Amino acid sequence: KDKSAASKDSTPEGASKRQEDGAETPKQQLLDIIGNMKVEVSYRKKLQQLKASESKKQALNKLEGLDSEGSVPQGTTEDIQRGKPLNPELVKAASAVASSLPRNKKQTESELLAQLRRHEETTDKQKKGGTLNIRNVISEMTVKRQTPAQRTAGISGRISLQLDEDGRRIRSERSSARSVGSRRSLKVGKRLNIFTKASTEPEHTLKTVSSPTIWDLEFAKEVAAVTAQPPRNGFEEMIQWTKEGILWEFPIDNEVGMEDDAEFHEHIFLEKHLEGFPKEGPIRHFMELVICGLSKNPYLSVKQKVEHIEWFQKYFEEKKELLQEI
Amino acid sequence: MAAAALCWALRAARQVLPSPCPRQARSYYVDWRMLRDVKRRKMAYEHADERLRINAIRKNSILPRELQEVADKEIAALPRDSCPVRIRNRCVVTSRPRGVKRRWRLSRIVFRHFADHAQMSGVQRAMW
Repeated sequence: KDKSAASKDSTPEGASKRQEDGAETPKQQLLDIIGNMKVEVSYRKKLQQLKASESKKQALNKLEGLDSEGSVPQGTTEDIQRGKPLNPELVKAASAVASSLPRNKKQTESELLAQLRRHEETTDKQKKGGTLNIRNVISEMTVKRQTPAQRTAGISGRISLQLDEDGRRIRSERSSARSVGSRRSLKVGKRLNIFTKASTEPEHTLKTVSSPTIWDLEFAKEVAAVTAQPPRNGFEEMIQWTKEGILWEFPIDNEVGMEDDAEFHEHIFLEKHLEGFPKEGPIRHFMELVICGLSKNPYLSVKQKVEHIEWFQKYFEEKKELLQEI
Repeated sequence: MAAAALCWALRAARQVLPSPCPRQARSYYVDWRMLRDVKRRKMAYEHADERLRINAIRKNSILPRELQEVADKEIAALPRDSCPVRIRNRCVVTSRPRGVKRRWRLSRIVFRHFADHAQMSGVQRAMW
């Protein structure tokens, strides 16, 4: 990163220098470039650069204050020149600061320009959108350190035969610790804005699809007929047969098509359906026998049994006058 | 939305459509007797429950005899083809009324024909 920044700096700097110094031999330019590439990434130097940039900013402010002519626009440092070479005035200021500082002039100048460029890049990025500042991300992460007790527990758990009680205890400790730790890390901490919220589209539940018209069905059938290829091998043939219903599905389910959700007591205790019948007499006797038989019948569904009893009820009600004669 | 409906219809059609593989497609019954037998079977299926219940009333020693006589008359009033006794297990291929093995629903001649051509699964010439 720094090297690229440095190279970027070198070219505009070289260009600006060319503007400033007029005719420079290419050798001089090369030397300048090489000299600029000495921007190192060591932490101490970064600190020094930061300090230098701060001092330079103060110097710039002083310069701006001195320049009462107003030729220097106020917001030079904040001037956003995306990807373009640095402002020549900035470069002038940098050179002036470098001359004022008690050090190798060219080196300081190059470092200051590199700092400026980086600053501009970051401002650009921040203006565009939230950048992923890795520092923020890493600051929240903490290295989880297993206590030696937990470590030994884990190892002993692995080695020994996992006795239920002991294993449960160890596992619960570990899981509780982990859950506690995870809970802390989940709810605490500022947002990192790494993941964008997926726009939750209102799922079109009210997709009122008017039942597909006949034309749609016909079209679908046509397409299916055209695209249906004859089976290439026995497996595909069997698949086709299964779809058509010729072949059963394996493993064979004995209760295919049978959907009896009723409990056993609904099958056996059918006396509650006998309310419409007289409580005494041959009819009641007869119906009790019917119910006994139905309760032992495993082939009929509850619905069918109830229908059976209701048919008998209807029949006997029709024959009521006849029965009363008897 | 229309695309979703089409897709669903496509899937349904694919499953239902018969494959283009050549297979025997029978559109007629072998003869009229077979057709009549088919009609009788359908009617018997429709009236099976009623017949069972009325017969339960008839074949009874508890209910009064008058009731049973009324039930007799009712069952006689049902259509003739609704009784299962009139069904004849004919051969499925030739409609032969006699010599039909129940397990395969085939007459003995057709059974022999298929078995010799090795088209009957698990059937072998006996030799002992």
